[in-house]
Amino acid sequence: MNDSKSDEGSVVEPSGRVGDPFGGLKSTPREVWSVNRRKFLALAGGFGAAGVLSATLGPRLWEDFFGSAPKEAAVVKPPLPLTSVTSKRPLVLVTLYGGNDGLNTVIPYQSSVYQSNRGQLAIDAAKVLPLGQGYGLHPSMTGFKRLWDARQLAIVQGVGFANPNFSHFESMDIWQSGVPGEPVSSGWLGRWLDATNSSPLRAVSVGPTMPTLLTGEKIQGAAIPPGKLVLPGDSTEQMLFAALSEINSGSPQLFSEAAAACGNLIELSRQMGPTLSRTATSDPLHLAGATSSALAANGGAALAIADGGGGQSAPNVLATQLSIVANLILAGAVPQVYSVDLGGFDTHVNQQPTQAKLLGELDTAVTAFVDALTNTVSGHGVVVVIYTEFGRRVNANSNAGTDHGWANNVFIVGPGVKGGFYGEPPDLNRLQEGNLVFTTDFRSVYATMFDKVLGVDPKPFLQGSFNTLSMV
Amino acid sequence: MDERSALALLYRRAGFGATSSELSAAAALGYSESVSKLINGLEQMDPPADAIAPPEMLQPPFYKPKSLSTPAAIMQFNATLSEERIALTNWWLERMVASVNPLREKLAFFLHCHFPTAISKVRFPLYMYRQNQIFRTQGSGDFATLTEAVSTDPAMLIWLDAGTDRLPDPNENFARELMERFTMGIGNYTELDVRAAAMAFTGWHLNTQTGQFAIATKLHTNVPQTFLGQKVSTGQEVINAVTRSQACARFVVASVWSRFAYPIETTDPLVAELASIYSKDRNIKNLLKMVFMHPSFLSTKTSTGLIKQPAEYVVGALRALGISAARLPAIKPPIMSAMSGLGQVLFDPPSVGGWPQNEYWLSTSAALARWRFAHQLSLVGDISPVVDSPAGSRVDAAAEFLSVESWSQSTSAALKRASTNPHTLVTLALVSPEYVSN
Repeated sequence: MNDSKSDEGSVVEPSGRVGDPFGGLKSTPREVWSVNRRKFLALAGGFGAAGVLSATLGPRLWEDFFGSAPKEAAVVKPPLPLTSVTSKRPLVLVTLYGGNDGLNTVIPYQSSVYQSNRGQLAIDAAKVLPLGQGYGLHPSMTGFKRLWDARQLAIVQGVGFANPNFSHFESMDIWQSGVPGEPVSSGWLGRWLDATNSSPLRAVSVGPTMPTLLTGEKIQGAAIPPGKLVLPGDSTEQMLFAALSEINSGSPQLFSEAAAACGNLIELSRQMGPTLSRTATSDPLHLAGATSSALAANGGAALAIADGGGGQSAPNVLATQLSIVANLILAGAVPQVYSVDLGGFDTHVNQQPTQAKLLGELDTAVTAFVDALTNTVSGHGVVVVIYTEFGRRVNANSNAGTDHGWANNVFIVGPGVKGGFYGEPPDLNRLQEGNLVFTTDFRSVYATMFDKVLGVDPKPFLQGSFNTLSMV
Repeated sequence: MDERSALALLYRRAGFGATSSELSAAAALGYSESVSKLINGLEQMDPPADAIAPPEMLQPPFYKPKSLSTPAAIMQFNATLSEERIALTNWWLERMVASVNPLREKLAFFLHCHFPTAISKVRFPLYMYRQNQIFRTQGSGDFATLTEAVSTDPAMLIWLDAGTDRLPDPNENFARELMERFTMGIGNYTELDVRAAAMAFTGWHLNTQTGQFAIATKLHTNVPQTFLGQKVSTGQEVINAVTRSQACARFVVASVWSRFAYPIETTDPLVAELASIYSKDRNIKNLLKMVFMHPSFLSTKTSTGLIKQPAEYVVGALRALGISAARLPAIKPPIMSAMSGLGQVLFDPPSVGGWPQNEYWLSTSAALARWRFAHQLSLVGDISPVVDSPAGSRVDAAAEFLSVESWSQSTSAALKRASTNPHTLVTLALVSPEYVSN
């Protein structure tokens, strides 16, 4: 994040893997890195970044995305009063793919049931960052702890849905569609695009492809290509490319969608191109310096090995995405809803180093993002929602990992968020088939976002009424 | 559908598209003979593709315990793996571009999507190569045999944590995905079956010294498990049970139909019809022939039912514009960066779910990546059939050149306005909905 953060020396737990580059094939820490690297390559893809698979380009791309070293230390600033929010509050969805282990994220560290079930996977109580009520944050999450102390971090406990689904894909589909029980192809925010007849630019994701989340029946959100948004060809080619987007009557569905993507790209370029090109050289999150500090703190070589890409450290891909989002929000861009993600949370094996690394990235990126928007006119109303497809089994498996489980925490963060615990914590003494039982329907979170952030009646979007929560 | 359109569709789905002269040759054979030719190609040599040598790759054991004790040695080792990985990805792309038996490469690609395994976790390119060769050499045979071969091969063993499935609390990763993603689909087994299968797979692992599959008897439980209503005590018995189930027949048929014809649910009557025949021998080659010969294959639903996946799009365009495999490495920026921008890097699917279909490839971000690729390709590729046509007939020439049945009204109008500039015309044709669809 910045100098003060790295001075704390706990961004990431030192892995000590310098002499053990692979930890045997059973261990997964490098998976995290390579997943991140892949994601970054995908982000950096396209011809703007010639030869992205060449490891030597890593640092240059990194500079492109993050600019130069941080100029100022980020501090928690008092939020502006919400009354100064004029029209819209930005909503940012952070999807953690793979099923983050919530029990080792918001940790009931005083519980003997937790300690005995988790065995060697239990986080040392002395290292937990205490939140009160017997819970503490994972040691990697020092930034979140600071936000918690500033009352800007809300934790909804025991979130899930009835009839848990242990498939990554189906469970994530349920989370993203907002409809349990039956497969639905539209996302909960895609239906919002449909119903408000919005421009696809009103809900955007960063990266090559589009999550279900922002896919409506009629309207699909836009995907922001990483890097400078420079269109190919001369003005004639660009004009004719735009003309391809004209939908012919009777055109097959997929043809119409392919045509629409052409038009949406032109519109995206027209409305956000200059801001996105600026993003390639200016990083409101000021994270470039923190990365090298974190590298130094954790042993550059240890990080470099995990990268698998010839010795360059893998950049924080979530920070890269959030940097783009921050620039768009600060520029007062069209989108109101943003989707970003981080993968690699499926920790069946050797969970500890993997999760520590990923939560560290999450912590660094989100904290810097919130700091960058605090006290800004267009950004201080931002609400960040962080979720994953399911929690993990309470009992650790025999490989220092955890299998797919049920209820989990949802984080809601922002300068204007009323911090604290929400929902009911699941009872560790009343598990169902070894899993935490959900206490808050996930659609309560969505209803809250519809009602309090997007300012629409949640009912039509959620097939029913759900209690809203009071953190926003 | 007239025969030439049918053949163009067949070659798009069973291969990477046909050039005008290939279509004429196919027309001389007729549709069903063309299907037979493609199907027989599954088990024949593919001289131009086979002539492309795979890269030199490190062999197991990949390193000696003390050989990587310095950061410099580790960096060198990783650089080697990184180079191997790029070379291996190029190798497969070059094979696809060069192939004269394209269904063989297409089936390998299908199986890569059916058994998605990513180098990001497997790490060693040699293992991805070995899996890829299984797809190529055993992919057209018995699906049960194939599933066992893939399951006991290093790439899958690493990918789904085999070797960590041990008592007392076995890791369920492989057991679950085997049933959910590869053989049966959700709804055909219970959570108890997942746990029972995980028990049966205890002890399965990869010997990292030899790179061979092994079963550690000490880690394997001999207690028979009740799995899908029968008693099983080994992982092989689990694979036998799932691959011989009716649910698996429907699942495999739906998977093949969904990627070669159009997306379909396992509950569709068409699936039941094909599954009843497929389940007699579980032979993939015979199933593919059934698909291409089925009346529903030659339908508008098929011809408008799929968007080209990036590999199909890129390879198809390279072939159409006459970029030979030998020229690929010299293309700048590299083809792999186009694949990355489009969201599909071979050997690196995003998860065990593989790559989704259709709408997934139609984002604004992908539209830009496609456009950049098409623009680049129109400048380096052979577009002489369009250039050599008089301006007034270039729009039609482009359709024939790219094996597109017809342009929509708006595409046609846009292309007409580009008819004085063949590069722009071909670029636009390559990004048009008609070409982007498969």
